[in-house]
This record gives sequence, C-alpha cells and structure tokens, in this order.
Amino acid sequence: MTVIFYLSAIIAVAATFLAITRTNAVHALLYLAVSLLAVAMVLFTLGAPFAAALEIVIYAGAIVVLFVFVVMMLNQGTATIRRERAYLTPSMWIVPGLLTLVLFAELVCVVAWVPEAAGAPAEAIGPKAVGMALFGPYAIAVEMASLLLLAGLIGAFHLGRRDEE
Amino acid sequence: MTQNASIVEDLRLRFPGTSFDPQSTRDDVPTVWVPSGKVRDVLRYLKNEVLRPYKMLFDLTAVDERCRADRPAQATGDFSVVYHLLSLDRNSDIRVKTSLDGDAPSLATITNLWPCADWYEREVWDMFGIGFEGHSNLRRILMPPTWEGHPLRKDHPARATEMGPFQLPDEKQAVEEEALRFRPEEWGMKRESENSDFMFLNLGPQHPGTHGVLRVVLQLDGERIVDAVADIGYHHRGAEKMGERQTWHTYIPYTDRIDYLGGVLNNMPYVLAIEKLAGIAVPDRAQVIRVMMCELFRIASHLVWFGTFAQDIGQMSPVFFAFNDRERILEIVQAFCGARMHPSWFRIGGVAQDLPNGWDRLVRGFLDYMPSRLAEYDKMVMQNAIVKARTVGIGDYTADEAIEWGVTGPGLRACGVEWDFRKKRPYSGYERFQFDIPTAQHGDCYDRSVVRVEEMRQSLRIVEQCLKNMPSGPYKSDHPLAMPPVKDRTMHDIETLITHFLGVTWGPVIPAGEAAVIAEASKGANAYYLISDGGTNSYRTRIRAPSFPHLQMLPKISRGFMTADILAILACIDFVLADVDR
Amino acid sequence: MREIVFHLLVVVCVLGGTLSMAGALIWLERRLLALWQDRYGPNRVGPFGLFQPVADAIKIFTKEDWIPPFADRAVFVAAPAVIVVTVLMSFAVVPFAPGVWVADLNVGLLFLFGMSSLGAYSLILAGWASNNKYSLIGGLRAAAQTISYEVFMGLSLMGVVMLAGSFSLRAIVEAQQGVWFCVTQFPALVVFLIAGLAETHRLPFDMPEAESELVAGFHSEYSGMKFGMFFVGEYLAITLLSALATVLFFGGWLGPVLPPLVWFVLKTGALICGIILLRASLPRLRFDQLMSLGWKILLPVALLNIVVTGAIALLGK
Repeated sequence: MTVIFYLSAIIAVAATFLAITRTNAVHALLYLAVSLLAVAMVLFTLGAPFAAALEIVIYAGAIVVLFVFVVMMLNQGTATIRRERAYLTPSMWIVPGLLTLVLFAELVCVVAWVPEAAGAPAEAIGPKAVGMALFGPYAIAVEMASLLLLAGLIGAFHLGRRDEE
Repeated sequence: MTQNASIVEDLRLRFPGTSFDPQSTRDDVPTVWVPSGKVRDVLRYLKNEVLRPYKMLFDLTAVDERCRADRPAQATGDFSVVYHLLSLDRNSDIRVKTSLDGDAPSLATITNLWPCADWYEREVWDMFGIGFEGHSNLRRILMPPTWEGHPLRKDHPARATEMGPFQLPDEKQAVEEEALRFRPEEWGMKRESENSDFMFLNLGPQHPGTHGVLRVVLQLDGERIVDAVADIGYHHRGAEKMGERQTWHTYIPYTDRIDYLGGVLNNMPYVLAIEKLAGIAVPDRAQVIRVMMCELFRIASHLVWFGTFAQDIGQMSPVFFAFNDRERILEIVQAFCGARMHPSWFRIGGVAQDLPNGWDRLVRGFLDYMPSRLAEYDKMVMQNAIVKARTVGIGDYTADEAIEWGVTGPGLRACGVEWDFRKKRPYSGYERFQFDIPTAQHGDCYDRSVVRVEEMRQSLRIVEQCLKNMPSGPYKSDHPLAMPPVKDRTMHDIETLITHFLGVTWGPVIPAGEAAVIAEASKGANAYYLISDGGTNSYRTRIRAPSFPHLQMLPKISRGFMTADILAILACIDFVLADVDR
Repeated sequence: MREIVFHLLVVVCVLGGTLSMAGALIWLERRLLALWQDRYGPNRVGPFGLFQPVADAIKIFTKEDWIPPFADRAVFVAAPAVIVVTVLMSFAVVPFAPGVWVADLNVGLLFLFGMSSLGAYSLILAGWASNNKYSLIGGLRAAAQTISYEVFMGLSLMGVVMLAGSFSLRAIVEAQQGVWFCVTQFPALVVFLIAGLAETHRLPFDMPEAESELVAGFHSEYSGMKFGMFFVGEYLAITLLSALATVLFFGGWLGPVLPPLVWFVLKTGALICGIILLRASLPRLRFDQLMSLGWKILLPVALLNIVVTGAIALLGK
C-alpha cells in the first residue's frame, strides 16, 4: 500500500508539473486529468474510497472534460501556443515558484515534525460514514455549499440566456 | 388561342410603341419577341401587374442562333434569351424572347424579380457567355471556374477528340488547385459576426448525406446554420450539348440518365416534344403502356427517396425494405424491356416493343403486394414520433415562396397548391385515369414526405387502371417519322427499303419548329424544349429539370436550422444530382 | 492459494469472455439486423457466418495503420485505447454469479460511474486529435452528451442504492431476492436504459458519429485496428450496459432451476438483443432534442424517483 501511495504521489506531482509546462492546452488538460486520477489513487490508499471515486467522477470525469470541451470550442491555433511559450520564461514563473517552494517546505516540516497528522487511517471510510458525517456534524456547511451552488446555477442560467431578439 | 392573342394584346396596350412580335411555335405557347432593353419591364408587368399574373419563372435559357438555317425572322442577333413563364391562375404559359448581338452580349438581370433567376442566369452565362448586368454573383455554375469558352455556343467543340489531348502539367494543376481554395467572401459569407467566429463546414462533394456529388458549404454558428451555399456542377455531363450531336432517336437513352432514378419518366417529355414537332399521333395502347411504365417508375423513384430519407434521419431499416420493393418494380421493368434502371423504352411514336405475354400477372402480383407494405411503412416511418420531431416544421416554405422559386411537383403540392401537370395539362391520355392530387398544408419536410407517400398510392391506382383497361392495337404509330420504322412495311420494293434504311441509320428528319412539353416527373415538372432546324438532330435541346430550382432554394429553407436538419431538408427536396447538373 | 488461483481464473475469464463477447456481438448484431431487414447478413464464413468476426479481425489487423499527417499523433493513438480500457475496467466490479467477480468494491457503483465518465475522454480526444471538423463536431457532441447523461444515469440509480442500502453491486443483487428492482424502480430503469444508450452512443442517440451528417463523427479519420478499438469498445459498452441493467434491475444471477451464471448470461443476452432491435427500428434524434429530452424529462423523472423512493424507504423504517 505504501509503495502504491508514493508511486501515485510521484505521478501526481510529475503530471501536475507537466500540466503547467505544456504549451498545448489540451495536452496540459490531459496531464491535469492524469494528476487527478493519481490523487484519487492517493485518497484510495489513505482509506477514503468514497472520496477517491468522487474525485474521478466529478473532477477527472466531468470538470476536466468540460475544460477540454471549452478548449476544443475555442479551437486555438498556433498563435496561442506561441503566446503560451512566451509565458514560460523564468521571469513569469520564478516568483510563484519560490512562493510554492516555501509552502512545500512548510508542508515537509509539518509532515516531519508532527507525525500523527499524516498517520495512516485505522480503517477505510465508506460512503455511509461520509454521509453520516456530512448530514450530521457538517449539515450546516453542506446546506451553505448547496445554497452557494444554487446561486451559481441561477447566475449561470441568467448569464447564459440569450435575449429574444 | 384567344387567350394567347389576348395576352399579347394586353402587352401592346401596356407598352405602346414597343414591338411585340409573336412567333408561332408547335406547342402553341404564346411566344413574343421583345427588344432586349424592355425585357425586365415586360417581365415585371407579367409577374406583378397583369390580371391573373404569371407568377412562376419556369425556365430561363438561351439559344445560339448563329448556325441556325431555319431561323425565325425575329431572331436578328447572334443569341436569343428565352424566358418561360407559367401562370397557375390561367393554367397557361408565355415565352418571352429577346435577341442579342455580338460576342459578349449582355442583358439586365431579373434576379430582383425572381430570386430563382440567380442560378438560371449563371447557367446561361456559363454556357453561352451572355452577361447579366446587376447580377450579384455571376460566376460559372456547372463548369469548373478555370474552364475556357462557353460550351453551348456552336463554336465550342462537343467531343473530347475535337479539343486536343488532355494534359495536366504541374503549373496547370497548381492553378486548378488554387481555384478550389475556399474563400468565404467569394461565396457571400462573412468569417465572423459581432460575438462569434463562424465555422465553415464543407459538406461534400464526397459525403454520405448528400446523395451524390453535391457540395454544400455551411456557415455555422455552433451547430446552427447561418448560411448554406450549394455548389453544383460535379455531375455535369453536357447532356444539352449531346442533344445537338445525337440524332433525335439516339438521344433517348441520354434522357434516361438525366434523372437516373426516373427511368422512362425522362423519356416522356422528350418523345412528346418530338411528336409535337413531327405531328405524330400515338396509338392508345402505346399511350397506356407509357402511362403504366411512368407510374411504375414514379413509385420506384419515390421508394428510393423514401428509404434514403429515413436513412438520412438515422433510421436504418426502411432503406432495405424500400430497395427490396423497388427491386420488384425493376424486375417487372426488366421483364418488359430487358433493362432495369435505364430502359430507354419509349420511342418516337410509341414504345420499343409490345408488352410480353403474361405481363398482367407480373403487374397484378405487384399491385397485390405493395399496398400492405405501404401501410407498414406508414406505421414505421410516417407515424414515428422521432421522425415527426425531426421533420415537422423543418425547412418549410409557403405556397407563394414555392411559386416564386420555381418549385414544382410534391414540393409545391406540400404547401397546399393542387397542381399536377397530369391533371392540369393531361398528356399521353392521363385525362382518362382517375386519381387524386395529394396535397398538404405546411410545406415542411414532413408534409413533403406525406405527399410523396400518398403519391405512391395514387400511382398504384393508375397502374391498376392500366392493367384493367389495357387497349389492344399497335404499340407504335405508323407515321413515317415514328422510329424505328415498322419492319413489315419495308420488304416490298427498293423505295420502302431505302426509306427504312435511312430511318434506321440517320433517323427521322423532324420538321423545323420549336416545341416544349412539360411532364410531371417524380421530382417535379420536367420539360424538354426542342428546336428543330429541319435536320436529323436537334438544333437546341433544353432540359428544364425540376431538381435545379429545388436545390437552389436550399439556403433559403435551411437558414436558422441545425446541422442535422440540413440532411433532412436535402432528403426531402428529393433531388438527383444528375438532374441538377445534366 | 486456491483462492488466488480461482481469482486469477476469474480475471482471465472475464477479460477473455468480454472480449470474445464483443466479437460474437458483431456477428449477432449483423445477423439480427439482417433478419429484421429482409436480407441475409454475413453467412459465408463458416457455418451461419460464425467466423465472420475472425475474418473481420484478420482484415482489421492487417490493414494499413494510417495516421493523418495533420493529426496530433500521441493523443490520436491513445484515444481508442481509453475506451477499451475503461469499459474493461468496469467489468471488474460486475458480479456474474455468487463469488464470481473480480472485485467487490463497497463503492462499486461509483467506480462504474467514474469509469464511464473517463470513457468520454476517448471520444472527445479522438475528435480533437483528428484535426478534422467533422471529428471535432462529433467530439463536442460526445462531450456534451456523455456529461449530461452521466448525471441522469447516476441520479436514476440512487433509488436502487437507497433500497439496497449499498453501492456494492453484490449487495444490490442480494437485495433483489424478493422483488426485482425493475418492478419497484421502474422509472429508474427507463431513465437508466435511455441514459445508458446515450452513454454508449447507440441509435437513437448516436449523434457523435451520425453517419448521414458527420460522415463517421469522432472516428472519421481512424482506420485499421485503431478504428477496431472503437468498434470493440462500442460492443463492450453494450455488453456492459446490459450486464449492469441485469445486475441493477433484473436480479443479476437470481433465478430458479438454472445455475446462476446461466441466468445472468440469459438476461444479459436478452437485453443485448433488445438494444439491437432498437437500432433496427428507431431514427436518430437531433442533438438539441437529445439535450432537452435529458434535462426536461429524464432529470425531473429521476429526481422525483429519488424523492419518492427516499420517502418510502424512510417510512418503511
């Protein structure tokens, strides 16, 4: 299990890196999908199969597909690829890169000095447990999130509607 | 005749000082010659102002008069342009002609009077080099854009052997390929609108949904059609030019191949026009045989339409059923004629052979078989909710628009106009048959389908009447110009033998004159306008094919619909590319 | 040790069985369509044309493997593999008979949704990588179609999950000991089958490859075995859909007298024939009609089904 965990984690990091550096948007999105799948594997090995399945269904299976859909619709040509390449000059990525490095260092510290935080779970958490948690202690958060989504839905409907001419 | 005189009188009253020279033709269509400057005004008067107007521009073509021996006195110039108008109110036609001079003659366009004049004028420009001032898009339509010369001019070679060997060096290929490059602007399309870039989709000329080598360029906003422009000419074989080269008799097989699904339906107007020129009366039996064959082919043609129509909206099975049934018709045709799709069975003055023994059994068998099949298809296709969802309200036009665009046949009847040349101007004895003209009200894809399905039933009725009342007698006229000459009359003396020999080798010499005959083909009104110079072949053969104006309407009836709809629309126009391009 | 061997055997049998099922289906579909369309169908290769799929396979393997010069090579090659892999993965959680399954995940159903949504990548990427407008439109249609219908498919099955009290397919079959869910969850069955057909893009929902409009849609540029992969993928998906419907609504392996596996195969086979019959009889919907059918009819039906089932399940307690 540990081997699989680290393997998936490495894939996730590598795929994410590639997703950032690809100039072709569809290729980048494909790496993003791979990265999400790897994260799903990570979740699975950590004993959260429900979260892993949702990761695949929602993120890899729906959201990234929508991204790809939009990119295909825009049908960008070589000009965009050239512009993307220009974005990848060191001056563009060095500051965010440094900031992320700091975050990464903090993460390493947390993992190294506070061992119980990254401890392996006692048992796998099934869908039932997740459901009980969501609609028990976190009911208010769920309700708020659903309200937010509803607002988003209505807003999208309003924006997307074409006025009758 | 009085009516003919009266319209010319009307014209003289309306345009005093303009000469309206009537010309007599064999088909009794009032024909007037008008000075070229006055043409547009005269046509506008005939379309919009005269009582019971001539609303339909039935045909627009030209004649190269330069080699014509028996030229009418009015044709003073090198070319004549012929406008054939049709009035549904009067049930009568008028032919307006004008004479043009010089090597690059031109004339005012009438595209602002009739939108369907667009393609006709382009065709005349392409074929004769006659320009139309004010035409917005006067490009070649049937010939490739790089073609040199105008094929229907008399000085243009008719055979490849007269043109020198064909060569395609690299430079020429480059030029040809460059000519194919798609530039939306040339097609009257914009690349983008305020809020979106358009996508251009090239449908054809090789595409499973276009029923032949048709190219449609779609301008799409998402999947919605902003504009659709049809590019035709890929199936052009110069049928009209061949008409000037073949003898009257040997041209019959070419007519079969104009609407290649219609078989003898194409022979009909051609032989009728020759018979009119030659004054041949066709015996009863021949007439009824012709009617029966025509109706069988009408069913066969509609069956092909039916199957492919269902196929185009995604239904897989009907095409197999329809082709199976068509096969039964073709088997009957084969038993009668020996050929199947293109029997070339009609002859000048009759048909090629008498019906074989036992023909009635074959026809009876088909009549017993077919109605139950049609009922089944009705359930499977016409009553199908998805078929209805895909065709009701799609590609619709009104009766006025249909007439304006020169639509005839089922497409016209689908918008409620009860107009069928078999009823309105009976030919070949159609007046003796009982049948109804099916109509529908909305003029959309579904209604066009309803009309065609019902037409199959009516055709079955006619075939049944032919079967029950087949007259006895000769199957061919004994007129001396009827072809091929009857063998029994030859072997008497040298004179009859020589006449027979000449008739068989050169074919008949048809008296000089002009005649047009309109017949109701499966796709719509099919007309042959023949000009005889008193020779063994025609001086000008004009084929007015129904699919040509129907297809021209495509952009108008497909704008605003979805990509998938254009296939339903194309299927319901029921065109044959060979009929469009000729 | 014996258990591991048995398990490996199941894995091999499932892989081999499903793949040869795809081959058999090609024959079955062509013969059945021919039967319903008054023609013979393949009847030359072997008895009743049974070896036709073998001949097809030989042809398709030996065909020139052509990649268009304008295509995006890597994605173009990878796309057909995705569909076969995801569908085959889905079979891992299908219980064929008691004890005969590759994996009994407690989130089995969710795993299936995940795989089927990943399958959508295949069509979309194929459409995009071909760099052809017909393919692109096919890919776009596939994307919109599969994403939307996934929603209805998932929602339709929530009723079943509620009644069974588990996402595990084995538990769902076992919950049907008394009454099959096709009775108690009839609206869900209808929604599931329609959504499933749309997911497998079969007639009347085959807009991504509608041959009369889009030539061959997303796989216009494919030939040889790459095209074969799409072909096999489609037949695998039909088998999967039928197997799932059997498991979720028709009691899986449950049935009297005959052995469980036979029951499973019989039920799945009957459903497959039904799907082929649909292809022989129905025309294709238009794309916007497909969308409005989904969002305006299937979605409310599925939601209503959840509410009613939930209420009944609560009251039952």
